[in-house]
Amino acid sequence: MTTVEKGWIGARYTRREDLRLLTGKGQYLADLRVVRDPLVVKFVRSSVAHALIKSIDVSAAAKLPGVVAVLTGADIRDKIRPLPTPSTVPLLPGHYPTHWPLAVERVRFHGEPVAAVVATDKYTAEDAVELVQVEYEDLPPITDPEKALLADSPLVHPDIGTNVMFSMVLTGGLTEAEQAANKARVDSIFATADVVVKERFYGHRCGVMPLETRGAVASFDPEAGLRVWMSTQRPHIDRLVFSELFDIPQNQVQVSAPRDQGGAFGVKAPVYREPIMIVYLTKLLGRPVQWIETREEHLMAVSQERDQIHELELAADKQGRILGLRDRVIADNGDSCEGVFWGFIMPFYGAALVPNAYHIPDCDISITAVATNKSALSPARAFGSLPGRFALDRAIDMLARKVGKDAADVRRMNLITQLPCNIATGVHYDSGNFVGVWDKLVQHIDVPRFRQEQRAARAEGRYIGLGFGVAVHASGVASEALVPMEGQPGYGSATLKMDSSGTVTVFEGDAPQGQGHETTMAQIAAEILGLDPEDVTVRVGDTNNTPFASGTFGARGGSYTASAVAMAAKAIRDKIVKVVAHDHKLEPDPAHFRFEAKSIWHKDRAEALTSMAGVCNRIIMKPLDLPAGADASLEHTAFFEAKEPMMAFSAHAAIVEADPASGEFRILRYISSEDVGRVINPLIVEGQVRGGVVQGLSNAMFEEFIYDENGQQLTSSMENYMLANAADVPNIEILHADTPCEHTPLGTRGMGEGVPGPVPGALCNAICDALEPFGIEIRDLPVRPDRVWALLQAARARAAG
Amino acid sequence: MTREISVTVNGTVYRKQVPVRLLLVDFIRDVLDLTGTHQGCTYEGVCGACTVQLNGEAVKSCMMLAVQADGQQVTTIEGLARNGVLHPLQKAFKEHHGLQCGFCTSGMIMNAEEFLRTNPRPTEDEIRHALIGNICRCTGYQGIVAAVSAAAEEMSAAGTPAKSGS
Ligand code: FES
Ligand code: FES
Repeated sequence: MTTVEKGWIGARYTRREDLRLLTGKGQYLADLRVVRDPLVVKFVRSSVAHALIKSIDVSAAAKLPGVVAVLTGADIRDKIRPLPTPSTVPLLPGHYPTHWPLAVERVRFHGEPVAAVVATDKYTAEDAVELVQVEYEDLPPITDPEKALLADSPLVHPDIGTNVMFSMVLTGGLTEAEQAANKARVDSIFATADVVVKERFYGHRCGVMPLETRGAVASFDPEAGLRVWMSTQRPHIDRLVFSELFDIPQNQVQVSAPRDQGGAFGVKAPVYREPIMIVYLTKLLGRPVQWIETREEHLMAVSQERDQIHELELAADKQGRILGLRDRVIADNGDSCEGVFWGFIMPFYGAALVPNAYHIPDCDISITAVATNKSALSPARAFGSLPGRFALDRAIDMLARKVGKDAADVRRMNLITQLPCNIATGVHYDSGNFVGVWDKLVQHIDVPRFRQEQRAARAEGRYIGLGFGVAVHASGVASEALVPMEGQPGYGSATLKMDSSGTVTVFEGDAPQGQGHETTMAQIAAEILGLDPEDVTVRVGDTNNTPFASGTFGARGGSYTASAVAMAAKAIRDKIVKVVAHDHKLEPDPAHFRFEAKSIWHKDRAEALTSMAGVCNRIIMKPLDLPAGADASLEHTAFFEAKEPMMAFSAHAAIVEADPASGEFRILRYISSEDVGRVINPLIVEGQVRGGVVQGLSNAMFEEFIYDENGQQLTSSMENYMLANAADVPNIEILHADTPCEHTPLGTRGMGEGVPGPVPGALCNAICDALEPFGIEIRDLPVRPDRVWALLQAARARAAG
Repeated sequence: MTREISVTVNGTVYRKQVPVRLLLVDFIRDVLDLTGTHQGCTYEGVCGACTVQLNGEAVKSCMMLAVQADGQQVTTIEGLARNGVLHPLQKAFKEHHGLQCGFCTSGMIMNAEEFLRTNPRPTEDEIRHALIGNICRCTGYQGIVAAVSAAAEEMSAAGTPAKSGS
């Protein structure tokens, strides 16, 4: 146990979760033994990108001993309601293609489920998958989103009549007239600006694949209802959708996220095909059914994000002050079949955040999300905004070169100083101190000294460089923004129950996957109630005993859920004060009482009035002579809603050494300066930052989903979809520049979600800075030595040319 | 086709009739119900989550058949703490926040435990290279590296090189 001087909130308290996980006692989905002898499901997946299904022969598979059922799209299309359903559709104007859990009539990407095999064990199920014969009639694969926009392009969804699934212009205008006026203003800014930077950037298809894949276990009993255990970030949303799809009242559906989940980072938030099929199968067969996704399936079907082209333009004055921004964003949306997110919610949100932390008075940003024969984009940490961060932070370095200034100075000059504010796209930034976070970073690095070292190194033939990237990222999303975007609420909720021995149980309807809620939420409740975190047990993710919650995503925990826990704890504390005051004939003013060391103290008494155990037992078990209006309940459910979205801010710097002969580069230092509001537990915050930065580096340098011109996905194994390992990455230095958030009861902010966003920009800016004498500019991700080498060759040819 | 095998796991002898194609990881998880060993990739041997020790040597249990372990000694994460006393690596992972979701952790520790027996005083760089066969998606590795380094120091100071897994 950590010793604590000032209180639990802010303490570097080691995690409550760790002991079980370190001794092999974690209970992840595949470890649960909650149903007896479940049947095992494996999916047959399309081997082609785009085709009509001519026939599916399941006879050989069905005959295999141990196979219980083999179903195809034709078997289910009249049995299962397709998506979209009301609770899986955002309130945005887009196309939401109708789809079933198994492909019906045609396949739209390499890896789409076409049949489901149910068997008594997984080895048999896998054998049976091999025996299913699918005959396809190939259709032309659509793999390039720009070509898919051409009038003569074949269509991914002919019934929709266009490949454009979503498009929007973001200028801050609400009416057409306002949009036109804003665009005209941007045009005139560009026409008269001293300096214009106009570049095309590409943030490639990659994501944040968690180490535990997806999966679901389900059982159904007409009496008891539907029971689903699944690896998910949003059990309450899943319950809603299963109820809606299968006509089971919500109170007959119980969805439980396991206490332990092996990461998610966004991937486990959508409503996907496979769990729907698992629920259908358990109802159909009357037996428990289990599906644990293989890594290959995971890499074929999900975890693919980013994939945006940005044609970005900056208008600036001679000093480098940005006056206006234009950006034409094209997102490769894949087949676009994915409940709640539909591929395009991420690039839409990313487009709205393109201006990032910079004060850019006028913007004209358009986002076009285009269907292709690839897997639908699925959410990933830095939700939709990684390519835009990369593009703008690269463009700012190019601008700095044009105006002959240090990129650090141009950045600082353009940082937002007035908070709160609405940026040009209409997004609200609530509070913080961007310049403070920034200054802490550049002072720590000592930029002038770095420049001296850089010059000295160059004189010796060594090329070192410094690059920056910044990110304003969501600390959860308020209902005000989430209802239009996803048709779902954003509030945080928690139930606290005190028992007669004076210990607490917190019930939280979110479903964490490594964020340490059992620790942080316990710290909050313990501090407010004067207990130790050991006295607080946190239960998560079960729809049967938790209040409705939107789930664990978008860094909601530290802002919304933590606030609800604090509110519920305060409500219980106030109630206890009333009873204690009554019992001791004291004035019931909460300010006169302290909750400390598991006891309750009064300002005028040296001795504790009562222990927490004593008073809880007295209220719950001996509810006699209670003050007027009080009852025996020491339970409280609180909902926290923010009026406007809250944001966290990070500024990152990378220092690299690059080799102009080979294009190889090495990260010498990586530094992050963060404002995450009041910190609940620095250990956990630092873990989130380090993990997020390494995901960003891994995205930038290694990971890449590759489809060939036929739409064949070539990266469905971890051999090919490469992730950073321990030897690939540096230690991450972390600076805290925290400003308590004014809009939460404790001053906390959620953080962690957006951390990978600024990383590729910082890294590539550093590489370009190192190789500045050779004049290269990186515009495309990923960045790898061979690509840097190619840029160097081209630059040399230009110089010679 | 099945075969009877006898495998000593965490000191207990198990005699079981198993299909010859059963993977060692499935034998450990599904037959013995020791679910602390995880599976993060599918028969690829890339992620390292399934790492156990075979006769004291770290191996990826998804890359072996159960029948290959016949007559051998297997140690899994469940066998690392002795008599309820955590191994220094387990303690150090908690102290240094070497885990978030914990899915990679068993494999990391089983690999690191063997590594520290071969190299009791490693540099940071040596630790990082020793762990390249274990992917962690959450921590960015820094806490893991710090934990392995701290455990190495503690074990050297205590003069108790880790016991060979058996
Ligand atoms: S499961 Fe064995 S290496 Fe991934
Ligand atoms: S702690 Fe999650 S994969 Fe390592």
